[in-house]
Amino acid sequence: MNIAVLIKMVPDTESRLEIVDGKIKEDGFKYMVNPYDEFAVEQAVQFKESVGGKVTLVSLFSDNSSIDTDLRKMMAIGADETIVLRQQGYRGDRTTSNARILSKTVKELDPDLVICGVQGIDYYQAATGPMVAHFLGVPHVSGVTNLELDGDKLTASRQMEGGLQIVESSMPILITAQKDMTKVRFPALKDIMMSKRKPFENREVEIEEGTDVVTVECSLPPSRGGGVILEGDGPEEKVDKLIEKLKMEAKVI
Amino acid sequence: MSTVILVGEVEGNEIKDISQQVAGVAAGMGDVIGLVIGKNISESAMKLAAGKVVIADDEALKYYDPVKYTSIVSQVVEKNGATKVLMGATTMGKDLGPRIAAKLGWGYLGDCLEASSEGFVRPNFAGKILARSKPDGPLVASIRNNAYPVGESWSGSVENFSGKIADSTLSTTSIEKVGAGTIELTEASIVVSGGRGLESPENYEKLIRPLATTIGAATGASRAIVDAGWVPHSHQVGQTGKTVTPELYLAIGISGAIQHLGGMSGSKFIVAINKDPEAPIFKVADYGLVGDLFEIVPVLKTKLENQ
Repeated sequence: MNIAVLIKMVPDTESRLEIVDGKIKEDGFKYMVNPYDEFAVEQAVQFKESVGGKVTLVSLFSDNSSIDTDLRKMMAIGADETIVLRQQGYRGDRTTSNARILSKTVKELDPDLVICGVQGIDYYQAATGPMVAHFLGVPHVSGVTNLELDGDKLTASRQMEGGLQIVESSMPILITAQKDMTKVRFPALKDIMMSKRKPFENREVEIEEGTDVVTVECSLPPSRGGGVILEGDGPEEKVDKLIEKLKMEAKVI
Repeated sequence: MSTVILVGEVEGNEIKDISQQVAGVAAGMGDVIGLVIGKNISESAMKLAAGKVVIADDEALKYYDPVKYTSIVSQVVEKNGATKVLMGATTMGKDLGPRIAAKLGWGYLGDCLEASSEGFVRPNFAGKILARSKPDGPLVASIRNNAYPVGESWSGSVENFSGKIADSTLSTTSIEKVGAGTIELTEASIVVSGGRGLESPENYEKLIRPLATTIGAATGASRAIVDAGWVPHSHQVGQTGKTVTPELYLAIGISGAIQHLGGMSGSKFIVAINKDPEAPIFKVADYGLVGDLFEIVPVLKTKLENQ
């Protein structure tokens, strides 16, 4: 089975978010593998281990090479090779244009299955998967919490309001991973050593002009000054005060 | 006037509240044509608040399928010369929107907090940043539940979709209800969330769920207790979970890591119950109760029952 996994490098969740002149100050960001994409890598490797095949990681990023170590960790989990598309002036919020560029490389790999995370924890558009699927001309199932492989048939459990949609499909197909899909393993030391010898290819790509909406201004959400601590002798009195506030001020009960 | 296609959703025999809200938003942007896709939805679809409603009612459309639904929406767009497609940011909307945008070659904005002819605001970094845009080209957008006034019901013209339904290799075999009767987190007007302060999964069941039931709230959780396996990930609020914007958010035994705050600080009112007066959650809470949650929560539940 030939599997491609899309990886997005996203600012670390501990990153300090500062706004200067309506723009996010990004120069101090450290980057990490988008957590949802790690579930996708783990799932791809589990399929490879059970039926054989190959797992190729594809990522689009700037020429900043500080991310290479983290991508190698994904190969230590069991992926076979990595292709990083290096783009001068890369931005993670050029959703459609980025999806189109990724899909060109994925198409060359001719995979049976493409997996990526349901969304990036930077811009939360949840769009890359469905868009890449469209550009590849394959169906997709998104937000999948469980994925079973039986011969050439896949069964996906897709999270929806109040339940799960159980979807069967043949391949090729694109799947986006929700958190419950897999539990990501800790690679053994020997796998970490081995990953250093696995193929890691950098390719230059250009920015494609596209239809992506440009953000004109970023701002921090209105800050919520800490409110009041409701004092009282014991829980009874505190709760009475809270209910009073919720009724009179917040008017929510 | 530009033409806006509003993709509505049916639940039971009614149009989803979020769809009616988006109908109200769409009315401020142009002439609205509603579109409802499904099986046996024709009667409910007519309740969609739009001057004209197109109905695609077919056995083959019983379950959401991105390939079939995308082809229907894009055919309706082309036939009517529309320049915008709007829908609720439901699990369907957030999945369908980007695929339609890719097919039409339009811009896409997902999960918008604000939408009007003045522009759009959407959350980045789980709501830690708000990004404003004023797109002038054709656009697909999904819009989050944000207490917009519901569009007026309208008995306008109704038309049956007469185009072709695309073939798809996807086939839905069943829908498994999980926790029947529970309220969806992202759609709830009240959310009760629990964290590590509860000390055990049994206490989540004993304290959080009954309190939520009492006030008709959805149940949420911090990442810590999801990772510990107390509750499924569908409960998680925060940067690697869901972003919620209810009227009232109750954080119980949650210290308030920055990733969690990102996912809930857009709530209208926040109540925090925690024994640690230094917990960061109190910095965003409108009302804080410092004390033992095991004493406070049962009292709160009893008193709310009597309201």
